[in-house]
Amino acid sequence: MKTYEVFLKRAGKDPFAHVGALEAPDDDLALSFARDCYARRSEGEQMWVVAREDLLVADPTELQMADRAHRHNDGTFLRDLRQVGNAEPA
Amino acid sequence: MRRWDSMEDFEAFLDGGGLVEPGDDMPDPYRQAVFRFIELHANSEYMGGLTERDWIAKAPGLTNKLTALAKTQDEVGHAHLLYMVAADMGVKTRDEMTADLLAGRTTFHNVFHYRAHSWGDQIAIAYLVDAAALASQQAVFKNCSYGPYKRILRRIIAEEGFHMRNGEELLLKMAKGTAQQHDMMQEGIDRWWWPSVQLFGPDTRPDDVLLRWHIKSERNEDLRDRFVQKMVPQLQAAGFTVPDPDLRQDPDTGRWVSGEIDWDALKAAIAGRGPDSERRLRDARNAWDGASWVREALDEAAAVPA
Repeated sequence: MKTYEVFLKRAGKDPFAHVGALEAPDDDLALSFARDCYARRSEGEQMWVVAREDLLVADPTELQMADRAHRHNDGTFLRDLRQVGNAEPA
Repeated sequence: MRRWDSMEDFEAFLDGGGLVEPGDDMPDPYRQAVFRFIELHANSEYMGGLTERDWIAKAPGLTNKLTALAKTQDEVGHAHLLYMVAADMGVKTRDEMTADLLAGRTTFHNVFHYRAHSWGDQIAIAYLVDAAALASQQAVFKNCSYGPYKRILRRIIAEEGFHMRNGEELLLKMAKGTAQQHDMMQEGIDRWWWPSVQLFGPDTRPDDVLLRWHIKSERNEDLRDRFVQKMVPQLQAAGFTVPDPDLRQDPDTGRWVSGEIDWDALKAAIAGRGPDSERRLRDARNAWDGASWVREALDEAAAVPA
């Protein structure tokens, strides 16, 4: 048995989203089981089924980028600059 | 890998609404407690699916047979999804969980230790048991700190909602039916009322880790009380009685108060000493053994080069 991960694209502009996993002896049956397990009621209009061993998984600690302030211009400096600009006579 | 230096840090993370994922270095007591809870849920869905399957042939009429078929697929499907989530916690493999269930080493919900005698019982199960199970699952979904379980519960809850609606529909049909149908339904309610009330479990203990670690979000007694408040008026409005001679309505608050609940019956059922425990487990073992040729054929087919 191999483990597979299942992704569904619901409708329209929705992106593909992970919905769960399953076990199957081969790729053909993985697709069949995925339809049975995750899409019995038209839950998606497209489906990806990927063997778990083929997924590259990033380390979550390397995805914590909240401290990179230079990538998040929240407009604070700009607001200050505009106020300075307004205060000076033209 | 995410890790926490101490249990205090971990609990602060959970209290802040943090979601734990399978790759995280979670504290072992949390891993064990969450695993046991999901395994119990998976086992119960699986045993429930087998019960439902018994009624595909016996359900009256094609529509009810199709519904029984769809519900069987749903319950077995829920078991599949939950066993995957449980196996990914790294405590036991799926095969070990199946072996433990069939050997009676692990447990499943009390309601699957009783026999469904008639179509009235089957409707009472769909109406009362599914409603009780759904209420418990919603209370877990609301605040669940284990990510994969929370995500899979969304789907399970949506499908249990179909079952509960189907149960109410069939109950109301029986209520409007012949005297014989009415009596059959009442007998079903008489047999399934108490097991459904007991499904919520005894009052939550103050030191319950499932509550502290945000797996459960509500106390057993609150969920049970809400179930009683909702179900008693619905059953009475449909012309049925609740088999609790001590049930009374508080004159001041208008709330329904149950009579004494027999917790020994719950303990006996979960321990595998319920009225139908032995037959249910034997049936599950036969189903597993009977399908071994399918599993073997699949494995052999997969071993053949394409």
